Amino acid sequence: MTDVPGSPAGGSYESGGDQSPRSNSNIREQDRFLPIANISRIMKKALPANGKIAKDAKDTVQECVSEFISFVTSEASDKCQKEKRKTINGDDLLWAMATLGFEDYIEPLKAYLSRYREVNRFGDTKGSARGGDGSGKKDTVGSQIVPNAQYTHQGSYTQGMNYLNSHV
Amino acid sequence: MRQAGAYSGILSGGGISGRTGPHLLPLARIKKIMKKSSVDVKMISGEAPLVFSKACELFIEELTKRSWKLTVEGKRRTLHKDDVVSAVATTDVFDFLIGLVDLNENHRAP
Repeated sequence: MTDVPGSPAGGSYESGGDQSPRSNSNIREQDRFLPIANISRIMKKALPANGKIAKDAKDTVQECVSEFISFVTSEASDKCQKEKRKTINGDDLLWAMATLGFEDYIEPLKAYLSRYREVNRFGDTKGSARGGDGSGKKDTVGSQIVPNAQYTHQGSYTQGMNYLNSHV
Repeated sequence: MRQAGAYSGILSGGGISGRTGPHLLPLARIKKIMKKSSVDVKMISGEAPLVFSKACELFIEELTKRSWKLTVEGKRRTLHKDDVVSAVATTDVFDFLIGLVDLNENHRAP
């Protein structure tokens, strides 16, 4: 159920993945990496206007991003196993990032998520339908996700995010 | 199942990243990479790839900025792989990448 290889969200990117000409891998490129064009766009945004990026640098960052996802997911997955839960949720990832030294990301991610929920509530019919039963929790969730210290109280706000799990 | 509209709506119309472009990072692809991380990864919440789409953006920005610093220090205008490798080597939180960048590189020592 969670595995949607042909999902509409990703479908349009599949062909785009072939832009990167590294074909020496035995696993399909599109399964291992995010599209180089997206990576490149984000990299350029981080540089001054006169900055240029060599292709080998883009390729390296592309590999690093996949490694980052695996690194954080593995940590989150271990936590779920210990707690005998089957589904990795957003909070598990935030916890894993804080644990692995990326606590600087937590605040921006929290802001991103709360804006997502806000937009989703108005823009998406499913979201707005769900907004009714989930709206009470939303504010609590937003304020409760705080790096490190709060992670000892995992149980309380993990609940709050679970209403989104049923989307998948 | 979540429809594309829900995501594309926020990514293009939401202005969440401060970018106006239509695409940020593809959520289905992120999910595939998550699933490959470990055999123990069975189910992933709908929000998890979304968290990663932003987290990866932050990660790419940080790695790029740190690399660019080294490019500038070397009085160059083009960011090369060596700069990325050096940035990884000199930044503690990027320690998990050392094996990766060493593996496919006979790079110059930083």
